[in-house]
Amino acid sequence: MKWLRGGGIWGFIVRRLLLGILVLFLVSVIVFAGTQALGDPARAILGRDATPDRLAALQAQLHLDQNVVGQYVQWLSGLLHGSFGTSLASQQPVSQLLGPRLVSSIVLVVISAVISIPLSIVIGSYAALHREKKFDTIVSNVMLGLASMPEFVTALLLVILFSTNIFHALPSISPVPPGHRAWEYPDELILPVATLVIAVTPYVSRIMRASMIEVLESDYVEMARLKGLSERTVLYRHALPNAIGPVFQVTAISLAYLAGGIVIIEYVFNYPGIGSALVDAVTNHDIPVVQALAVLIAGLYVVLNLLADVATILVTPRLRTRL
Amino acid sequence: MNTRNAAIPRSLSAIRDRLAEGAQMTERGDKIWRVGESRGEGNPDGPWSLSRRQLFMGAGGVVLASTLAGCGGSAPAPSGGTNTTGAAGTPKRGGNFRLGVTGGGSKDMMDGQNIVTKPDQARLLTAFETLLTFDDNYQLQTDGLAESVEADNPKQYTIRIRDGIEFQNGKPFTADDVIYSLQRIGTEKNGLTGFAATATMDIKNLKKVDDRTVRLPLLSPDSTIPQTLASYTFGMVPVGYDKFSGDVSTQIGTGCYKLKSFTPGQESVHERNPNYWRGDGSPWFDTVTITDFNDSTAQLNALKGGQIDAMTDVPAGQVDSTKASGVGVLISQTGGWIPLCMAIDMPPFDDPKVRQAFRLIIDRQACLEQIGNGYGQIANDLYAPFDEGYDKSLPQREQDIEQAKSLLKQAGKEGLSVDLHTTNGAAGMVELASVFASQARQAGVNVTVKNDPNYYGDSYLKLAFSVDFWGTRGYLNQVQQGSLPNSPYNETHWPPKSGPGSNFEDLYHQALAETDTNKRIDIQHQMQKYEYDLGGYIIPYFNALIDGYASNVQGLSPSKGTLNLAGFGHGFRTIWFA
Repeated sequence: MKWLRGGGIWGFIVRRLLLGILVLFLVSVIVFAGTQALGDPARAILGRDATPDRLAALQAQLHLDQNVVGQYVQWLSGLLHGSFGTSLASQQPVSQLLGPRLVSSIVLVVISAVISIPLSIVIGSYAALHREKKFDTIVSNVMLGLASMPEFVTALLLVILFSTNIFHALPSISPVPPGHRAWEYPDELILPVATLVIAVTPYVSRIMRASMIEVLESDYVEMARLKGLSERTVLYRHALPNAIGPVFQVTAISLAYLAGGIVIIEYVFNYPGIGSALVDAVTNHDIPVVQALAVLIAGLYVVLNLLADVATILVTPRLRTRL
Repeated sequence: MNTRNAAIPRSLSAIRDRLAEGAQMTERGDKIWRVGESRGEGNPDGPWSLSRRQLFMGAGGVVLASTLAGCGGSAPAPSGGTNTTGAAGTPKRGGNFRLGVTGGGSKDMMDGQNIVTKPDQARLLTAFETLLTFDDNYQLQTDGLAESVEADNPKQYTIRIRDGIEFQNGKPFTADDVIYSLQRIGTEKNGLTGFAATATMDIKNLKKVDDRTVRLPLLSPDSTIPQTLASYTFGMVPVGYDKFSGDVSTQIGTGCYKLKSFTPGQESVHERNPNYWRGDGSPWFDTVTITDFNDSTAQLNALKGGQIDAMTDVPAGQVDSTKASGVGVLISQTGGWIPLCMAIDMPPFDDPKVRQAFRLIIDRQACLEQIGNGYGQIANDLYAPFDEGYDKSLPQREQDIEQAKSLLKQAGKEGLSVDLHTTNGAAGMVELASVFASQARQAGVNVTVKNDPNYYGDSYLKLAFSVDFWGTRGYLNQVQQGSLPNSPYNETHWPPKSGPGSNFEDLYHQALAETDTNKRIDIQHQMQKYEYDLGGYIIPYFNALIDGYASNVQGLSPSKGTLNLAGFGHGFRTIWFA
């Protein structure tokens, strides 16, 4: 297992990237096999209009006349050339169809992450520092409550509270018009972002709290305190970097979950992202779009996990020096 | 049940075709030999009276000119006919009308003669108009692009279009455009929804008489031609027209709004056509924006929150809470229906006693309450309630479990088990199957519901027992679509090949060719009697359309037609902001 070591952090990144590509390749095989199981897409698309000649024409267009391996190679080579094919439902290139939606989804996830991660770290740390005091007790219980609420309930409660029934302050839906970007409509982003922040923050802050408590009880923090370092220095120089490692991990998983799982948010707020595109594509048997989205979401998981691992290693001297 | 948002099936071209076909709402009425400008008296009877009784027998002679007597009041401009909800005040110009529609997706399209999703229906109506029109009372009117459609003889019609109509780009609307439009629909490879309805037209031999006159020869007599020409998928397009494929300037019709931008699955924006031909100040909005919604919850929230001005298909269970929040609700009783379909040549339904028993098992009132939340009208296993030939004299069937049991016993089918196939197609299809299954248990019949997402692709029309959906239509037109051996969507495999009812197709042709209204109604009654006694449909109720609109939207009124929001405010022409 020698090749798994050496090269410092860059060697690690390169190795992980190669592994990531392997994972994506395997995912592409599974996705392809999975979409095959949907049955003959040409027949499904044509439905009652499946006359023999139209069926043959569509099958040729979809390369269904080749054998399965041939079809896969065809698709993969398109993918490697950056072409996801043409959507069956809209006859547009998949990249053109998904590009703006991908941007919208990323905007939503990134803004939510930028808000929820620092927020969670602050809440978790503060709760850990004042363990079993009033703040900790209240926040822990509130977080537990929020964590147990499904996102769509949160979303609907926010809508009822802020836009339809009690206050009429914020838009209840966020349909980014085509040709515009999500950030051009900041007021429409508030409720979806708030929903995602409420969905993610409880998990991350609880992990942060637990991790911080563990660190604060460790020998080296006690040592630092005994050395007579200020509590500030103890916290920022010694405790926080060690406590934050697990937070990166749970954040990465939460964000990856959001990327695939914001479909409910997109439904409630009529937000044009990739989640609703995926649902639409599955109901339409729009196989090129389904495949493209599955690979994209898998890619996102790989990249986010890689980033989390790199971040964890960078903040953990023990791991850093082992490379 | 609150799945109104599923009212439009999401996939499969089969359902798409069904949607558009069902939506053609070509009501068969009289034998109309001449559809002229003249209008008769208003029809004062309630929504269920069938009103085209007041006929003017024409000048007689060979042509048998029984002029269509328009009913249901004056032309629907601008306030749209009867029971106008917000007709107070005169129409005002201005504003962006934002409409939220469910059922769309990336397969949305724009074509003056074709639709795949519900937002496509709204989009089509922004820009394209038909030669003849239906009013809110589902009566044919000549306030469309044609000033008259006359039958010269049973096998030839003459269409005369209005003078001075221009397309949105200033091009005059002429006979050439009419011929191009009809031939485009009548060409099978174009795959347009109206194709089946052109079967009797001799499409190749359409002839231009002069710039405003077209001669339409028929292959066989067909008195439903005027209704066909009033179907919304028979929009008039300019010569050389093709569907939207990226260039908004190709979508030129004669209608109120001109396409400005369109992104399938998201929204389309339409701007006011300042040269609209009616000259009554309409259209009133500056722009119309049609937005796709995935979900009726978001749609309702947007309407309550003021981000849209109207929406399609409010879930029936939420009508009261919607009203309470200050939003208007438009309830339109339509002739749409969701039948249970028994194939009369497949066991166990090849025994008429079993069909009879099943028709006695169903509790129609309970279905209406549980599935339609009471919004609808009880049916009697017959379709086309707005047709004047609808036989109201046949006794209303009621649930009778004892008799059903005894019929099943006579047929030797006690403890029968059957599969009932359904799909998440139109709203209520799955619910009807479940409700019926639970009602059947009382009669000792074990019904297993099979909810199959590929229903319309794979097994449709080949099943012994299934659920389907249809829109508003006239009787003979519906027969042509679903109850003849060569009908495209004959779920029940009607009519019988021998015995009583086997002359059903002959009767149909007799009715099509019969010029005397009363005689034709007699023939239709005979046909309905056969279907009532021996047919394969169980029709629990006719459903209503429930739409929502903001309190400042004026001019909406209930309509008997198939399309939402009274035909989307008659092509967004008869509605305005207060």
